[in-house]
Amino acid sequence: MGEGSKVLFSIFGVLDVTGEVVAMWLIVAVLTVLSLLVKSRLKERPGFLQNLLETGVEYLDNFLEGLLGREKSRKYFTFLATLFIFIIVSNYSGLIPGVGLTDYVKAPTSSLSVTAGLGVVTFFFLQISGLRCGVRHYFKRFVSPMFFMLPLLVLDEFVKPASLALRLFGNVFGEETVTEELYGLLPIGAPVVMMVLSILFCALQALVFTMLTSIYLDEVTELE
Amino acid sequence: MSSNAIIALAAALAIAVSTLAPAIAQGLTAKSAMESIARQPDAAKDIRSTLIISLALMEALTIYGLLIAFMLVAKV
Repeated sequence: MGEGSKVLFSIFGVLDVTGEVVAMWLIVAVLTVLSLLVKSRLKERPGFLQNLLETGVEYLDNFLEGLLGREKSRKYFTFLATLFIFIIVSNYSGLIPGVGLTDYVKAPTSSLSVTAGLGVVTFFFLQISGLRCGVRHYFKRFVSPMFFMLPLLVLDEFVKPASLALRLFGNVFGEETVTEELYGLLPIGAPVVMMVLSILFCALQALVFTMLTSIYLDEVTELE
Repeated sequence: MSSNAIIALAAALAIAVSTLAPAIAQGLTAKSAMESIARQPDAAKDIRSTLIISLALMEALTIYGLLIAFMLVAKV
């Protein structure tokens, strides 16, 4: 689990840098450089790279529009798309040969700390979006069918991001562990079975995280 | 039986039971979703997204079991 990862070095003696953090830095750097590179040479007739990224963003746009409707999906597109892109790249980073084997680079989402972080961000995002749609409406939601639902509905707000975080962590960590076990069994050939399945599951988990976040968002920002 | 053996058994049981029930539930869900898609191919898109969400929510139960199993295994 998260506690098990080896600390490579500490910043100011308090911020422990583990393999997951290094991987996150690399992912952020790669995504930023890629986006800036494509943005600096936008063309009317897109080249290969621009075409690829545009297809991805367009797919995400259509996906979120189907879930949230045009107005809301435009408003919250930046956060939800960032979440999706970061999670899917983090999940796939575990499939790069050698990534799970060293202590220096690890798939970020295979650590509970990282997914819990994503959960906390999602929690605040949901609450703030709800509050910005009207304070009265926000509090009314907690007592909407009956007054005695209050404790349950308040608890629900905390359970939602926790279950998001646990689901992502459990799936990715489970995949990584199975791949590792298979590697121990037969280093050449056996892990391929699980890695092929991982290609599907990694994308699915990123999709599920974004999808559930947007559905919770839709609930929170619903106006009668 | 030593306490380690009991913990190992408990870990195996935790993951086994928490896989069984959601697997049945997911099978039933997928079955009825496929039936609905076959009956009404126009609604396939809506059904698919609802299917993925419900499968994910069931999957969470298995993940809780997995988590408990890992926590127990760490104690052996």
